This record gives sequence, structure tokens and C-alpha cells, in this order.
Amino acid sequence: MISMSRKVCIIGGATTPFDYGPTGFESIEGGAAECIKETQQDIPEFSLRDLDLMVYSHFSVHFSHQLSSEWIIHDHLGLVGLPHYRVENGGNTGGSALYAAALAVMSGHHDVVGIVGWETMDTVSQSQGSEFIAMASDIRYELMVGGIYPIYYAAMANKWMKENKVTEEDVAMIAVKNKNNAMDNPKAQWYRNDHKYITVDDVMNSRLMSYPIKKYDCCLMTRGVAFLIVCSEKYAKKINPDHYVTIDGMGLSSCTIRAGDRLNNPGWKERYGPGYPEMTEFAACRNSAERAYKMAGIKDPVKDIDFGEIHDAFSTSEAQIYKALGLADQNTIAQFIRDERTSVNGDIPMNPGGGLLGYGHPVGATGLMSTIECYYQLAGMIPQKHLSRKTEVPNPECGIVNSHAGTGTSISNFILRRH
Amino acid sequence: MMEAVTIKNKKNKFSEAPVFTEKKEYRPEGVNETGLTFIGHEISEDKTTMNQFLHYDQLYTIRHGWNSKFFIGLLDGKIMGTHCPRCGDSWVPVRTHCWNLDCNLQKTEWVEMPLTAKVHTWTVAGWSGRSSLKRLPIILVYAIIGNSKVAIANELHGLKPWDVEFDMPLKIVFKPKEQRIGAVTDFHFEPADNWKPSPMNKEKDRIKKLVEPVYEWVKTLK
Ligand SMILES: [Zn+2]
Repeated sequence: MISMSRKVCIIGGATTPFDYGPTGFESIEGGAAECIKETQQDIPEFSLRDLDLMVYSHFSVHFSHQLSSEWIIHDHLGLVGLPHYRVENGGNTGGSALYAAALAVMSGHHDVVGIVGWETMDTVSQSQGSEFIAMASDIRYELMVGGIYPIYYAAMANKWMKENKVTEEDVAMIAVKNKNNAMDNPKAQWYRNDHKYITVDDVMNSRLMSYPIKKYDCCLMTRGVAFLIVCSEKYAKKINPDHYVTIDGMGLSSCTIRAGDRLNNPGWKERYGPGYPEMTEFAACRNSAERAYKMAGIKDPVKDIDFGEIHDAFSTSEAQIYKALGLADQNTIAQFIRDERTSVNGDIPMNPGGGLLGYGHPVGATGLMSTIECYYQLAGMIPQKHLSRKTEVPNPECGIVNSHAGTGTSISNFILRRH
Repeated sequence: MMEAVTIKNKKNKFSEAPVFTEKKEYRPEGVNETGLTFIGHEISEDKTTMNQFLHYDQLYTIRHGWNSKFFIGLLDGKIMGTHCPRCGDSWVPVRTHCWNLDCNLQKTEWVEMPLTAKVHTWTVAGWSGRSSLKRLPIILVYAIIGNSKVAIANELHGLKPWDVEFDMPLKIVFKPKEQRIGAVTDFHFEPADNWKPSPMNKEKDRIKKLVEPVYEWVKTLK
């Protein structure tokens, strides 16, 4: 199966500033329009008339208080008559929309596909928002027993950290890295709202969410919109010959909705043997990465991949993702983190754009934000998009984008290369 | 010419419907279905930005269907699981068809599970969804009930948050019968009778330090 029948490229994209609450907001359709206009400043040759499919990436009607809100955006953009549909796949909605758009181009049926993703999580209180997101757990069993996502993730991470000898301070370093990276990114929510550099002590002293996760170990609830163009190589060469990237590998995989159900699960047992993924490992991340690596010819991810934009919903999950991506194993993961190999100056920087911890997590836009940041790095556009070159990965050829849903219930990985 | 056909012995129903004979309401005061109601707005000083407040309340019927036995079991103080007659796997939370692809969606059988369990993993929550804030801090465990192949999430009561540990033996405790509603909140876990907490250590001190402000914060909630 895994062969690229037709090359799929990314030629540009942009997000609105990510925010929460009263700061300026255009409206979802206004935000989409502004993202497209910014993309057109980068690639003036791109016209809305070139699009032949629109994929919309949006998670929750509970937040949008509007069913089929993609119809408002699509109509507003003047695209009536163009085919469109919406993709929803929890926190991996953005990654899944990218997957859908890439399939459309790969098949040869479409040439130029636009993706718009958005979420407006500030339409309800923070605690109500947590409860809405938790409605993507199995509410019959999990929501009413006090469960929200930070709690499920904490229960998984607590055991994982002990098994892998990773400490609270180790994962706090990841939170510090990503939030401080976001201080170089004017669109990042951390830059725009909290606006401070933090230390490991700040993380350790922030309020308890669910042991071992504290407030600063958590991503942000966000309002934001993103736009991305996925197209054939022929179109990429015509419109943006000097700054396009190719999607050389992609993988999508799935796991149980309830984290407790992945113990002894026969689907994993037949793939990876007994005892995996336990309740601690992101098997769908490992599985989708393996698919993406095979397709892109990645043999040794640490050597072959230069950097990544990955789904750090929690500092703990970024650490778990390192392992699932094969960057380290049980014996090496703690030292891998302590050596700061994923800082901008490390050998495989992760989330130089700030990630979910710093840039923000407007669910339907998140995977697209990660893809756009990865694209900017590969296309050499960081100096014009970030505040300085501090968060520019030196001369990258290959990046990974990771998007992640539920308790690891759906995970996608993409290998992007510069051309 | 077409002839008019009269349908004789006309049935009222073409599928079976359950007859509901037991109905209970425990609606808290102030819970009403108002549908969509605009309840206010705000406009910025410079008159460029408007926010409008929309209230939306909706009554859902959770139709438990084939899973009903589990929830009815809770009302009776029982944990009902399911079991595959082909491969022998058992589950709580239940599956009405086997998860093993070799069993090809084999329908499972109901079994009553023991009221004992073991902690698989745990966390101590200092923050939660809106409906749970006043119960904080909450010890949430994923525990394995009886010979279940999977772990179920629920609260652990009856010990200090910092005393919870991996693999500790548990018992399942139900609320008094008259308080049960047929939801997983009808039961919680407690340490098994013979279990004693281990002495304080560095991690327990750390959890204690993190949890203490949560107790104070909850007191400030209305
Ligand atoms: Zn079976």
C-alpha cells in the first residue's frame, strides 16, 4: 500500500494570532479571510480561483454554538460551488484534515486543496471548556467520575514516568522550553497573554492540575484560526518554486477511547506482542510514525529528522511522544530530556514555534498550526514570521509534524522535506 | 385498472418496543430546559465590538440499549461485566461483542463481577470539570475489577491523597440504595480492609505539598 502515487506539496499557510477571551477577534470567517490574505502576501501568485477542494478542520459544535460552522466560512470566502467537507477527529482533527487533503491530491482527483481549521474555546468558562473536551471521553464511564483530560493524561504519565525514570523536573524542562520558545513568536498565545519567560521552579510551583501535572505543564485553551494549502508538485512549482515542501511520509493510527481498554488489547498484541502499550505508551503514535517513516525512507529518526512540531498537550505527553517516535527508549529517555536535545540548539529541536504549551491549542486549528510552523522552518521563513532568529532551526531539510487526539486515541505523523 | 388493496390485520408496530414501568426523576432545583435564550450582551466603549450571551439547555436521553444491564446492575449494587464464550476474555467496562478479531464480533454473555479490584495506575486531581470542582482533591484510579482484561476509572476514597499506591487492593463500595441513579458515580473504590498505608516518603511529601492549597481553594467555592 504505502507508496506515493503522486507527490503532495505544501506551499504556504498562516494562522490568526492565538488568544483567549477579550482580546481582538475578527470572527471565524474574518479570521479565515485574514489567514488567506497573509498567505497571499507570501505567495502573491496564489488565487482563491485555483482551489478545487476545501477541507474544514473543526472539533466541537459545543464550542462553536453553531452546527456546520464551516458553511459560514466557506460562503464568506466566496467559494460557493467549490466542493467542501469537514473533518473531525478530536485533538487530531488538524492532522486528519491534512491527511484527507493529502489523499485528495495524491489520488489525482484534486490539485489544489485549501484547509481551514478553527476553534473558539473561549465561548464558555475554562472549567466548562474542560468538561466539553472531556465529552470526547466515553461519558458513560469516565466523565462523571471527575475525569477531564489532564486527569486521564496524569494517570497515564504517572506510571510512564516511574517506569522510565523520568521526573517532574525533567518534564518541567519541556514546559519551560516550549513556553519560552513561544516568547519569540508574536502569534503565540503565551507571548500575547502571559508574556513571560519561566523556569523549572515556576513549573514546579504552579498549581496542581493532576499529579504529576501542574498548571504550567498544560497547554492553553485557545481561540484561533489557521489556513494551509496542499497541492500537486506541478502547481507548487508554478506558484512557489523556491519555497515549497513535500509530504514525503504520512501515517494515521488509532487506539482505544478509554485508556484502560488498551491493556491486553488484541489489536496491539498481534502487532507488538503482549504488554504493549500498557496504559503508558502512545501506541498509535508509534504505529503512525512507523508508517510515515517507511513511506519517507526514515531509518534512524534522530539522524534523519532535523526537528519537529509535535502535540505537547502536556509536557508529560511530549516526553511520551519522544519515545513513541523512537527518539529514545526506556533506558535513554530521561537522559535524552536532560541533555536538552530538543531545545532549539539541540540536535533535534521540538516545538521551536512554541507548541500547544506556548502557541496554543485551538483544537481544529492546532495540527495545522504545527504544520505551518514546520513549513516556515523548512521554507526559511522564520526570520519574517518570528521575532528573531533565536527560534530558527539551522538549515533544516526534514521535519516531523505530529497531531494527537483523545488519550492517544488517534494520532497522525507527517514527514515534510524541503525542496 | 389498479384495484384498491386493503391491508388486513394491520400491525401498530413493526419492531419491538420496551415497556417502561419504572421511572424516577431526581431533577435538581433550577435545572430547566430553556432551549436557546439570549440572556444579555456587552458592547465595547468604542462601539466596535459586541459579545452576546446565549444560554442553551438541553435534555438528553442516554439510551443504554444493550449496555443497559451494567447500569441497572449499579442500581442493585452489582458490577456486571461481560465475557466472551469463545476466547474467554472478560470486561468492565463492558463490551457487547468481543474485541478479538478472531472471534468475529461474537456476542458476549453477562457475568456478575466480584466487588474487589486492584489499582493499575492513579493520579491526584487538583482541578476538574465544572461539575466536580467541589469534590477536589480527587484520587482517580484506573483499577482492574476481578479478572477483567481492562481497567476502569473511578474515584478512590477513604485515604489521604498522598497514600495511594500502585497495585494496592481495593473494594468496591456502593452509595446507599436510595441515592443510586444507575451511573458509575453510584460506586467508588476504597482500600481493601487489610490494607495499610506505607510510611511517608519524598514523593508523598511532594503530593501533600501540592494538595494542601487545593483544600483551601475548595473552601472558597460557593
Ligand atoms: Zn472472544
